[in-house]
Amino acid sequence: MRALTANRLTDGETVFWNDGRWVERFVEAQLFDAPEAAEAAEAQAKSLQTVVVDPYLIDVVEAGDIWAPLSYRERIRCLGPTNHPQHGKQAEGGADIDALAHAAGAARSTGRVNLIKRK
Amino acid sequence: MYRYDAIDQEFVADRAAEFREQVSRRLAGEITEDQFKPIRLMNGLYLQLHAYMLRIAIPYGSLQSRQLRRLAHIARTYDKGYGHFTTRTNLQLHWIKLKDAPEILDQLAEVGMHAIQTSGNTIRNVTADPYAGATADELDDPRVWAETIRQWSTLHPEFSYLPRKFKIAVTAAAKDRTATKIYDIGLHLRRGRGGELGFEVIVGGGLGRSPHIGSTIREFLPTRHLLSYLEAILRVYNRHGRRDNIFKARIKILVASLGAEEFARQVEEEWAKTDQSRIDLPDTELARIRGDFTPAFETLPPRSETLEAARAADPAFARFLRRNTHPHKQPGYAIVDVSLKTPGQTPGDMTAEQMELVADLAERHSLDDIRVTYQQNLLLPHVRLDDLPAVWRALSGAGLATPNIDLITDIIACPGLDYCALANARAIPIAQHIAERFADPDRAELVGELNIKISGCINACGHHHVGHIGILGVDKKGEEFYQVTLGGSAEEAAALGQMLGPALPAAKVAEAVELMVEVYLRERKDGERFLDTFRRTGVAPFKEAVYADAH
Repeated sequence: MRALTANRLTDGETVFWNDGRWVERFVEAQLFDAPEAAEAAEAQAKSLQTVVVDPYLIDVVEAGDIWAPLSYRERIRCLGPTNHPQHGKQAEGGADIDALAHAAGAARSTGRVNLIKRK
Repeated sequence: MYRYDAIDQEFVADRAAEFREQVSRRLAGEITEDQFKPIRLMNGLYLQLHAYMLRIAIPYGSLQSRQLRRLAHIARTYDKGYGHFTTRTNLQLHWIKLKDAPEILDQLAEVGMHAIQTSGNTIRNVTADPYAGATADELDDPRVWAETIRQWSTLHPEFSYLPRKFKIAVTAAAKDRTATKIYDIGLHLRRGRGGELGFEVIVGGGLGRSPHIGSTIREFLPTRHLLSYLEAILRVYNRHGRRDNIFKARIKILVASLGAEEFARQVEEEWAKTDQSRIDLPDTELARIRGDFTPAFETLPPRSETLEAARAADPAFARFLRRNTHPHKQPGYAIVDVSLKTPGQTPGDMTAEQMELVADLAERHSLDDIRVTYQQNLLLPHVRLDDLPAVWRALSGAGLATPNIDLITDIIACPGLDYCALANARAIPIAQHIAERFADPDRAELVGELNIKISGCINACGHHHVGHIGILGVDKKGEEFYQVTLGGSAEEAAALGQMLGPALPAAKVAEAVELMVEVYLRERKDGERFLDTFRRTGVAPFKEAVYADAH
């Protein structure tokens, strides 16, 4: 399963794709089972040059009762820095945030590898 | 302190206005991200995990009160109320919005600051001894030379597109507080046989993926030839640096592949062809720059009864004096460290309120002068001995007087995976865990000088290779792991650390440090520091303690 993420152009906020819109919380992200649908969304997102920067697909796995990004890096992007729990998306709290904060998984995703290549 | 003239002032204001126009064109879709990215990076604006990050240059780590106040204002207004001082003595703001960046650059320009050349393949912000102009062990004020380099290197057209980034550090004291041997060029001021001053020129140091200690390519360069000689080095590098491979593009790789002797020969050959008189600074200009670095000290007695009474009355103050103050060249003054390393806090972070407090203290008690150190602390270079009790009380009240300079809790840590798009693992929580274990100041002082340096990836912004204990975050089969090295040093006898053994999981790092400290306390002789003991015993006893469970 995959999700599509990017940073918003105006403020750098981490955002996720959901059926043509960008949402701020991972719990609202659209999850893609079919690779073709994921890649089509990515291609569409890349054309939205005045909205987001560097859209890329990330791997998502089941972590207990929720879906969570596979990589630790992507989970930090969904939450905020661990040294300042009052900053970033985690500041808003909520069950989805708590669940993500306790999700376990691998720390590298294919999305990230692609990102490094582009830098 | 440097002073902008009318041309400098107009230029930085114009540059901010130009960036405003470029941002508005980007937001309107008139230029693409591929076109815009190099432009924003030329103005210090990176895109990180959660937001944009602005890296603001602090020339050779020197700040005036009005500048630190302005940084506080920017942190409070456009960020989340804090900033992060780096190992390059710059300030990073981690929650910047693109649309606010032009306004921030305007505000920086008003106080003689900018974010130019804090990114890209250019000559970056030059660093100097933070004790400059205050310490008795310097031959000259290195800021005079750092400022000369700043003016020469800023927007130098020939060196705006180097093979890779380029960093220069200057020190004029026997004790190296600037890590000159891990810089692309390290300049160490020496006195020649005839009494003339000159630089030992050290080239090709650097950390990252291929760590190197710099090589001396000239034992003594008369100071008047500084700029023409630097230009010759840069020309050789610009011509032969590996532009084809980003991992081999730094000057350290060129120096290592040619050999220091051959590199030096090429530099000398280039220098001989150079019209030195056209490049070297005229004495009149040097004198003008020097005039900006002459603080108005009062004539004071070398001993302060006020200070001695306070020292005797309060053991906590006595400890602060012991750890966080240093002798000054001028009788009646002291150098005072401002610790940004209270156990539990993020190393190098400072709130807007703390910045304002230090700005006030500097104005009242330190001749309007503040320095940033590469160890991610600040210092007040010129405090009257009589004022030390008041300065200590004010710093204590703001959580800035932890008496731990150079101790085990004075840890360098890069932002790591909590913020940085390049990181593989977090650095900050590791630093916090270690510092909390050694939070008892008696215990930290018993352990003595011990530099722990942590990086969240191989780029080594946390200088892990030269930590007495170095810690590098790696991604190992999907989890955060940490490689430990021992015996590194960034000082005069600079050395790269040796690997302790297999990488440790995050939860085991602080415990491993504790075990290694126990080994050191058991093994140390006659006032040895951790580093001295390690150099005598080698890695074996430390390895045995940390991996005992594995056997």
